[in-house]
Amino acid sequence: MERRVVITAESAITPIGHGKKNIFDNLVNGVSGVKNIKKEDDLLAKYLHSKVFGVIDYEIAYDFSRKFTKTLGPVSYYACQVAKEVIEQAGLDQELLSSGRVGIAFGSTHGSPTVQRNIYEAFFDPERKGYAKINATDYLKSMAHTTAVNITRMFGITGRVIASCTACTTGSQSIGYGYEAIKFGLQDAMICGAADEYDTTTIAVFDNLLACSTAYNDRPHLTPRPFDVKRDGLVVGEGAGAVLLEEYEHAKRRGATILAEVIGFSCSNNGGDLILPNADGVKRTIRMGLENARLNPGDVGFISAHATSTKVGDIVEAQAIHAEYGEVPLVTGLKSYIGHTMSSCGVIETIFTLYMLQEGVIVPTLNLEEIDPRCNMIQHVTAMKEQDVSIASIQNFAFGGVNTSLFIKKWI
Amino acid sequence: MTRQEIIDKILELLRDEFEIVNPDLDDNLTEKYEFDSIDAIALLEYVEDFIASPLTQEEKKQAMEIRSINHICDFIEDVLKKRK
Repeated sequence: MERRVVITAESAITPIGHGKKNIFDNLVNGVSGVKNIKKEDDLLAKYLHSKVFGVIDYEIAYDFSRKFTKTLGPVSYYACQVAKEVIEQAGLDQELLSSGRVGIAFGSTHGSPTVQRNIYEAFFDPERKGYAKINATDYLKSMAHTTAVNITRMFGITGRVIASCTACTTGSQSIGYGYEAIKFGLQDAMICGAADEYDTTTIAVFDNLLACSTAYNDRPHLTPRPFDVKRDGLVVGEGAGAVLLEEYEHAKRRGATILAEVIGFSCSNNGGDLILPNADGVKRTIRMGLENARLNPGDVGFISAHATSTKVGDIVEAQAIHAEYGEVPLVTGLKSYIGHTMSSCGVIETIFTLYMLQEGVIVPTLNLEEIDPRCNMIQHVTAMKEQDVSIASIQNFAFGGVNTSLFIKKWI
Repeated sequence: MTRQEIIDKILELLRDEFEIVNPDLDDNLTEKYEFDSIDAIALLEYVEDFIASPLTQEEKKQAMEIRSINHICDFIEDVLKKRK
């Protein structure tokens, strides 16, 4: 049995805003959410070559009681907020949430690095007395599945728990695995998403790999520059996103507003190097996704490219898109607006794509001024286009050689 | 340290750190305020600071049976007596 899966709510907290109106206005106005890293972080900031970050620098009005906040690290605050907003937007009642037919697919790169840092500080504190100062809740705040289970606890969700933890494909895996859980009748609805908090250790990792942008520290809004000849690496960012996936008949019976349909998903591994981009792996993932969605390449009108803005990664991706899709679909690198929000990039880019399908507008890759000739074989969007696109694909790739391809269809 | 001083400190902790306001001294904290095992462990950390002495594993296990403010005060008085 295969069931149709629709999106009935969405929410995102991103470096260019919170909520559809705020985010979409900034997308169409070409506003960048990339700023300088926070100065008060004296742990690593002074050692980093890259001084830019996709920062959330606005207040979020949380309304969580202490009963719940005692197990929330910063990453779970984001996660619970976007989950709360999709539950409210979709009008899910407590009976349904606790029926066992609603599950959660939510992850982060590595729990809460801020809390993990506090634990290590306790270890290395010369005044420490045993391990007593490692708080009872520190593990609950920092563990890899902290976002998923804090959401289940806060909202009394009793269905499946999937806590993907595959770095940059976490969010797209959450949606993909949630989609499969509903498609094959295991759940009727899934809250799917990912979150990552502000963290300079992530910059340090990419800084050491010479993969971070460093040439625009004095002009943060000009980086990252996916596919541009002057791109010089990725920009780490923070953020969260969630979508509510629901079985079509279930959504119809509830009278839910349907925003889009999820029509296909694929995930594969390169089966080799854990870091280097792999064209064959990407191409295979795209083919598997098209087959899963029962589409021909020409059916896809828009591709949200992973496009981190690294020297090699963008070339490999452009060549893979060309090999599988030709020159037909429009291609935008949405990280150009917000940086690389790590685990949450897949879900945030899905939500941005959803907005564009709904509004009949495709936004360009920001900072794409001169296309790298080695990336120039696909149809880059360099200026805003008013275009009605029916089917879009969101591509993401992660350290560890993980690739995902997700397909959504405009709801008419 | 008098009983009243201990009560005042526990009420202050419960208000400031656990959002429990104006409880009765014999209220079952678990039933009435959803004070759970995570809270109990956290409270013991505050108690260690308050009495300026670490609790033993055995004392912590005993404390897990505590249900009311009066129980907490009894526990602290016992611990303080042992430390004399």
